[in-house]
Amino acid sequence: MLIEILQQTINGLAIGGVYVLIALGLTTVFGILGIAHFAHGSISMSGGYLTYFLVTAQGMPVLAAIPVALASGILLGLLVEMLAYRPVRNANHINAFIVALGLTMMVEGLNLQLFGHEQVVIPTGLSRVFRLGGITVPELRLYVIVAAIVLVIAMMIFVERTKTGQAIRAVAENRDAAILMGVNVRTIPLIVFGMSTALGVAAGIMVGALFAIAPGIGEGLVVKGFAVLILGGLGSFPGAILGGTVLGITESIAAGFISSAYKDVIAFVVMILVLLIRPQGLLGRAP
Amino acid sequence: MPNHKFTRACAALAMTLVAGASLAAEKKLTVGVADALTGGGAVYGLPQANAVKMAAEEINAAGGIKVGPDVYKIDVIAYDDKANPTEATNAVRKLIDRDGVKYILGFCCSGSTSAVASFIGNEKAVMLVGNAAERSITTKKIPNLVRTRPPADYTGQAAGTFIARKGQKRIAVLGALDVGFYAQYVDSVEREIKKTGGEIIAREVFSLKDRDMTPQLTKIRGLNPDAILVVGYVEPAAFVYRQAVELGMNIPRYGFTSGSEEQFLRVTTSEQMEGVWDLRPTELTLLSASKNGIAYHANYTKKYNASPSPSSPYAYDQLYALKAAIEAAGTVDNTEAVAKALRNLAVPPQVVMQYQPVDGKMFDVNGQAYTSNGAFQWQKGKWVFVEDLPSDSKAYSQFLSTLN
Repeated sequence: MLIEILQQTINGLAIGGVYVLIALGLTTVFGILGIAHFAHGSISMSGGYLTYFLVTAQGMPVLAAIPVALASGILLGLLVEMLAYRPVRNANHINAFIVALGLTMMVEGLNLQLFGHEQVVIPTGLSRVFRLGGITVPELRLYVIVAAIVLVIAMMIFVERTKTGQAIRAVAENRDAAILMGVNVRTIPLIVFGMSTALGVAAGIMVGALFAIAPGIGEGLVVKGFAVLILGGLGSFPGAILGGTVLGITESIAAGFISSAYKDVIAFVVMILVLLIRPQGLLGRAP
Repeated sequence: MPNHKFTRACAALAMTLVAGASLAAEKKLTVGVADALTGGGAVYGLPQANAVKMAAEEINAAGGIKVGPDVYKIDVIAYDDKANPTEATNAVRKLIDRDGVKYILGFCCSGSTSAVASFIGNEKAVMLVGNAAERSITTKKIPNLVRTRPPADYTGQAAGTFIARKGQKRIAVLGALDVGFYAQYVDSVEREIKKTGGEIIAREVFSLKDRDMTPQLTKIRGLNPDAILVVGYVEPAAFVYRQAVELGMNIPRYGFTSGSEEQFLRVTTSEQMEGVWDLRPTELTLLSASKNGIAYHANYTKKYNASPSPSSPYAYDQLYALKAAIEAAGTVDNTEAVAKALRNLAVPPQVVMQYQPVDGKMFDVNGQAYTSNGAFQWQKGKWVFVEDLPSDSKAYSQFLSTLN
């Protein structure tokens, strides 16, 4: 029994890592700019598709393709902010909402045109399995968990310890006060979108390597990402980390011990139960 | 002068022949295809649509369909039903109402096919079902519907006998069990293994979009089964095979998936697939195929730059059966006569699958065709046909006739 629980926890950690990265991107954009960036999932999958293209069509080693995809993610994030959201920044919130939906359809359509309707799996060549007692950890899952932890730590250091990170937090706390303190608020959204999209692309690569990328996968992930946001607490970085991990492990344990048929339902029931007790989410601040 | 007469007579004859030939060339028979061209079902539907188009080209190149003095060239219109019942209904309505199509082929997936089967009996059209394996499609005695693929439980029975013979007693099932025909396959397997003291110890589920099966597999691993049985679409099934190895499950893996090597290798490595059994109708594999099968494989691969899926010839065979039925009925307009001719048809020589005729006919009284079943094993990168699975098409046909 203990081995099964530990195994299910390891299983859930990998997908939980993906949820954390998606949710961190979403919470950054939502917490700082107030935009519900629905296109985040589809854009993240574009990064996975790009990695697949670089590895399979260009013959690039996967370790070389990942930095290229991450850099492209940053660039794509900047473009999305400048071309899609900046023009509606001072308009009614509904405008940004519509832009987000339109962008989702556009990116999904583009992915479909460029990469077709069939699922693609990023070949990594990582097929070793590590065994510890009765627990098995596939090499690829281990690297995904480690990569997710490294990215989360890097982001936390960036946000907490650098001047740019402090500026981002200042804008999130009080935009007017940040302007008075000399923060260049025009560049903050660019940085936020670049960072958020890079995290999303990392999640897209993980999904493509662990499972598969296909039309519709990004949309499903963004729904889970928003669920994590609500579970962890809107706008809270630690909340996104905790929420993503809890959701991943809950899904895995629920499928293992209750029923695989209701895996998603059970995860959302847990979310609702948490919100009944803590409406602000696990680590959100009470209004 | 007589020479002039002779020349004029020859010219008149030539003009008549040319006119006749051009009149015959103008006749066109449009057939429709409703199938999953995108989405999860496309792994079966797209190759089926391709197979129909290829058969149409072959038939046209060989002179078309001959109906009395007329020769019909086939034109194919294919619509995407996304394996969705509503989309399939819309696609077929469009084919019948707008395009005036009388013969509709394809139909890879059971949910969408059942939706169309529910109303096709009221239409002046003939429906030829391919890969969709839900049993009830041919239990409703719909006179204008035939199916080339045998129902899933017909194959499940043979698969159960095979697993029981291998000596495994405690079988864990992981599959798309919310899909009727997969559940019917498992029920048949269970009936057979129970006869030798075996049992199914777990029925775990995955959906078409699931790609992470480690929670279900971990649970199964904890039950120490003798073997696992995977029933479902190729893509999720491929993940099950891969993740079972990753979880260190070194037990026999049986399946009912009908995927090609290419489709599996997009997800798993050949090493991860080594030893997996697929217990299914004896569909297309190079080693099991007839002469027609080998030619089909080569032509399809050349035309579409991809290997055909094993189940795609169900649709290819539909068009050859339809051609033979139309020629036998002597009409393209009278769909009732063509449907009747289909029921009385001997297996056409051009088909790829190895059908087991009932009373000498390709389709039984229910409109159901039967192929032999086979045990295929993944060996060094490819599916190898290992042995025939004993299947009694006549007995099953009688059983099918008793159902509503």
